[in-house]
Amino acid sequence: MNESNPDPKAFEAVVESDSRKAPVRVAFVTRRTSPQVKAESDPFMMTWPEGLFRVAVACEVLSIALVLMALFWDAPLEGLADPMQTPNPAKAPWYFLGLQELLHYFPPVVGGVLIPTLVVIALIVIPYFNVNVEAEGVWTRNRRKRLQVFSAVSLALILLLIVFKVWAVLAPTVIIGAAMLFAARESENAGRFHGWLSSHPLSFWIMTWFLVTATLLTAIGTFFRGPGWSWVWPWSAY
Amino acid sequence: MGQEDADALTRRDTLIKIGLGSAAVACCGAAAFGYQFLSPNVLYEPSPIANVGKPDRFPPDSVTADPVAGVYIVHAAEGLYALSATCTHLGCFTAWKPELGIIACPCHGSKFNRLGVKIDGPAPRPLPRLKVSVSDEGDLLVDRSTIVTPDQFLRT
Amino acid sequence: MAKAIENYWNDLRDTKVWRSVFRSGAGSGNLHSALSVQQNVFLHLASVKMRRRSLAFGVTWYLGTLTLATFLILTGTGILLMLYYHPSVPQAYADMKDLQFVVSAGVFLRNLHRWSAQAMVFLVFAHMFKVFYRGAYRAPREFNWVIGVILLMITLFLSYTGYLLPWDQLAFWAITVGSNIMSAVPVFGQKVRFLMLGGNTVNANALLRFYVLHCVILPLVAAFFIAIHFWRIRKDGGLHTGKAAPHE
Repeated sequence: MNESNPDPKAFEAVVESDSRKAPVRVAFVTRRTSPQVKAESDPFMMTWPEGLFRVAVACEVLSIALVLMALFWDAPLEGLADPMQTPNPAKAPWYFLGLQELLHYFPPVVGGVLIPTLVVIALIVIPYFNVNVEAEGVWTRNRRKRLQVFSAVSLALILLLIVFKVWAVLAPTVIIGAAMLFAARESENAGRFHGWLSSHPLSFWIMTWFLVTATLLTAIGTFFRGPGWSWVWPWSAY
Repeated sequence: MGQEDADALTRRDTLIKIGLGSAAVACCGAAAFGYQFLSPNVLYEPSPIANVGKPDRFPPDSVTADPVAGVYIVHAAEGLYALSATCTHLGCFTAWKPELGIIACPCHGSKFNRLGVKIDGPAPRPLPRLKVSVSDEGDLLVDRSTIVTPDQFLRT
Repeated sequence: MAKAIENYWNDLRDTKVWRSVFRSGAGSGNLHSALSVQQNVFLHLASVKMRRRSLAFGVTWYLGTLTLATFLILTGTGILLMLYYHPSVPQAYADMKDLQFVVSAGVFLRNLHRWSAQAMVFLVFAHMFKVFYRGAYRAPREFNWVIGVILLMITLFLSYTGYLLPWDQLAFWAITVGSNIMSAVPVFGQKVRFLMLGGNTVNANALLRFYVLHCVILPLVAAFFIAIHFWRIRKDGGLHTGKAAPHE
């Protein structure tokens, strides 16, 4: 390139404090720079009125649904509290029925204190553990070693559940375990479902197991338990 | 003063220590007073000692439920004793089933025999035996706050 | 006609009185929208602009918003119900009968309160699972997740304390069983149960303590943590839109 038409890419980096000698200052952005430097290409919209109107619509739909429920279904009110007369069965509110079902299998210290405390602690520490920050499928790396650990843990858990005869938790454990094993299979012509299944990290599996178990326990406590906490079939009891 | 000035305890440090120390003491005091406040000193609950009537109300080899007192009075061969009617599992009120000869809890299906020993269900302990005594007028008194060992009987 | 109303409306907003209250005066452009949020003591917890993606239904299902909505419905109906409720034994039960048969709209308010309570517990759980499955608990939002778990505990405790207030068989025995579970905690379980109930059994003291917990202490604690929860959403960079969400 000649002097009259300098190549724009040919520059010389100098440290010069004389503004007359080096009038142009260049900011050099390297790859190590904080990501905040990147301009966001996310389209924004005004909170008022658009955002808040959507919130208002959601709240209105909910309010209408709740008002309709309140108009048509009465909240229950049983007889006056009588300390000498325990109703049969004495059931907790539905969100504690899963817990009450668990109390059927374990002593109060374990089922009423230990397990709920462990659940709460486990929930709180979720974001601080690497296993929950990984986003890739659980079988993507170290497949053999992970399969061994998985087999050992799930076998121990299933044995524990059989010993305590906790069938309600055993069923979802077996199903989720089977799904995980299916996801671990290496097959050439993997279907879309298989691909979707194997893309999930371990945190997904654990949380799904917890969700299914809790739902099942609550459902059993609500519909399948009658007087003396005995097993009843809902279609014959009501 | 010289060299140790940097390590010397200044008046400011002392005052800060005194201030924080007093605040800590005050906090501990407030916590203690708060705990005492929250813990009621007077309970409007019935006296734990229940009068269940004359001992001859209870024929030999019988189990009588007294729901008001919350006890079962059992007249065994060795004598009289009282069992608490509150299930040891989660505090539900049990019921005496004379046709089956057992005490049953409606909440989770715990069953006890007339000795209070658990025969079925999730209850962790047997029904506690309560202290019985006779009052000056000859009434049978059950002290629901005192648990006795299963070898205690009241002979009449 | 509409134009005349609009003109009148704009003139009104330019008056001294209006401007003394709302400051921003007449106008409808972006500046005005921004000021409506930023200058408002209740709304300025929200940002002036939101990402369009974060408001798509499928991202959050609006579960957090709906949970807050149920909380507000519960506060409103709860305050109204308090006007006809005496937390004493056995007056509380008589008041429940009053609300159902004597008080105008009493049965409606009580039903609305009860169903909103069930809905709130359900929505709180659903919100938690949705946040987990879209990965919105990851850095920098870890602490907000913890605040959320605390709010879950508060919600369950609010529901539990409110459950006793009707003083019927359902209430009495549910709370008896619950407090006995509490006493199974080793070391200090019995003491905590004694303090919570204000006695050894579920009686008048327990009702009063649960009433104060349910109507005063827990709502204030909940409001406190809700404020932190929303504040953290702002500070952590707004709602997580899950552009690279691995679970979706």
